[in-house]
Amino acid sequence: MNVVTMNSLLQFIYAFSVEKLPYITVIVTLIGVALRVMRWRSSPPDHEKIRLDPVESVKYVILDVVLFRKTWRTDKVMWLALFLFHGSVAGIVFGHLRGFHVWSIHMFEAFGHAFAEFMVHTLPIYVGYVFIVTQVYFLARRLMLENKQLTSMPNDYVALVLLLLKSVAGQGMRLVPPEGVPATLYNVVFIPRFVVLHLETIPNSHWFHVHIILTQLFIMYVPFSKFIHMFTGVITPAIYGSRRKMIDR
Amino acid sequence: MTAELNDKAKASLGKFTRRQVLELDTCAHCALCTENCPAYHESRDPLHAPGVRSAVAVKLYDKKHNFLTRLFGNTEITEEDVERLSESAYHCTLCGRCMESCPFGFQTHELWCRVREIVADLGGTPQNVVRLGNMLEESMNPYGMDPDERLDWVDYTGLDEVPEKEQAEVAYFVGCTTAFKGANHDVAFSIASILDEVEEDWTVLGEDEWCCGNPSLLSGDEHTAREYALHNVEALESRGVKKVITGCAGCYRVFRFEYPKLLGREPNFEILHAVEYLRDLLASGRLKLEATDEKVIYHDPCELSRLGGVIEAPREALSHMTEEPLEFEDHGINVKCCGGGGLLQAVDNEMRLDIVTERLTEAKEKGADVLVSACPACKLAFTDGVRERGVKIEVLDLLELAAKRLGAL
Repeated sequence: MNVVTMNSLLQFIYAFSVEKLPYITVIVTLIGVALRVMRWRSSPPDHEKIRLDPVESVKYVILDVVLFRKTWRTDKVMWLALFLFHGSVAGIVFGHLRGFHVWSIHMFEAFGHAFAEFMVHTLPIYVGYVFIVTQVYFLARRLMLENKQLTSMPNDYVALVLLLLKSVAGQGMRLVPPEGVPATLYNVVFIPRFVVLHLETIPNSHWFHVHIILTQLFIMYVPFSKFIHMFTGVITPAIYGSRRKMIDR
Repeated sequence: MTAELNDKAKASLGKFTRRQVLELDTCAHCALCTENCPAYHESRDPLHAPGVRSAVAVKLYDKKHNFLTRLFGNTEITEEDVERLSESAYHCTLCGRCMESCPFGFQTHELWCRVREIVADLGGTPQNVVRLGNMLEESMNPYGMDPDERLDWVDYTGLDEVPEKEQAEVAYFVGCTTAFKGANHDVAFSIASILDEVEEDWTVLGEDEWCCGNPSLLSGDEHTAREYALHNVEALESRGVKKVITGCAGCYRVFRFEYPKLLGREPNFEILHAVEYLRDLLASGRLKLEATDEKVIYHDPCELSRLGGVIEAPREALSHMTEEPLEFEDHGINVKCCGGGGLLQAVDNEMRLDIVTERLTEAKEKGADVLVSACPACKLAFTDGVRERGVKIEVLDLLELAAKRLGAL
């Protein structure tokens, strides 16, 4: 394997992306969340007080958010894309937890070494492809329906493109072997001795750093973008579920 | 002019409630609501799509209430912006079908009513709707008819008389579209006949009945709606009424869901749609009807089913009148609007007729002899569709069908 020597600018950018950018990411994200909350708090409350019915709310969240019942009724292709997209998100988030030592390959060893290897090294590649293909579908669908059935706001595209780029970079990490730069240990200290991110043996591949920079940009962008529906999209169906219970005789 | 508009716009856009801002912010502009929207389905104009309305509304909201837009963006709202919002808001039947297709469950009926309120504040309400509001103010009904003509249907239908009592157990709230539109006079006759048949202690309010306020709410005039709510509830409560029956899906929805909000309290009576009352009579055996062998298809009025939650009662009532009632492809909570709602007739009658023609055609294709509904606005739309577009099918209200089976009509 050839050992690649990074130039000083790249070295600076890469160190910045894992040592300094996380602080900026957290600050910008918190400011974004604060602005969102202030925006909602400054609006008048509703006339009608809807008493949340836990059973109905949970039922609607499961049916509409987890199973995408309404999308199934309307557009089966979109339902499949949404299901695969969100399923792959769940898989990818779970996979990333291994990098933070929440779980390890040994968890799957009980089912045999081959199975563990498949779960940790092979399956994530397929999941990555699914994730990318579904995003390309969303982007293409949006472009095709633009000014016919929908009017996008700039942030609809920015959010999708940013997510797609970071996903491609993430997949690149798996498909293109590291350039052979010796791994480095970085520490990101949010709260000394309490919240410290030990980014051990960072794979010094370009794909990794592009991925981590784009991911942080994505996280910063979430509270300002339509991706806010990751959180609010659970609240609105829960309210609607309780409301329906009130309406239906 | 522009400065004045912008001053008004900030306050007016600030009327979006906390939940509504949350909904506007959550809307992913996915367009899943679009194909389900009856207005968009006919016009194919993107501005009529619910998701586009949401985008137009949130852009205007951001101009006045988004921290970053106010710092770095264009914050001016023009008259063209208001026209665009108005065009979008009024090419809508307010049927709430987008609510049932939205993956996030946005309560769009309320959201679009709020948008209309903002349009009204900014002077963008269509002229025909403004005229309708003026007639409401003058004559307490949206048709500009004299209040003393409210009981003319009694003479026209040949009913001997209707009771106007000081005190009664039950009140029949006729509703403007039933009282003043000839196509619906038989609906009032049918309900009155059934109330007489079961010897109910009932009354009408006569001239004392004012519009329920639905047209005011649908055009963003909450103030007038509150005035009517106060009057009607006072008129009914002063008669010691325990139960209010109405054959109008719009009146029913407003009495049940809007009056408590407008008045800040629950009225001291129960509100029932006539189909619920009929169902109860049939289920208890107080009323017996002869079944018909005609093929009957039932259309759910949006304000009664999706927005009012009454879906099974009309079907249960119908099961006493016909053995195998037919169903539309889209029915119940997912019903496709007939086009008769949301004041669409005042803004774009051609669109209304296009929507209703589709529904009539489907009823014919299903093999129905009779199309029944439970809302005077639906019946009016269907009869207009039959007349204007030449679709041959009998159109009845469910209560008219019941009166026919009773031999009263």
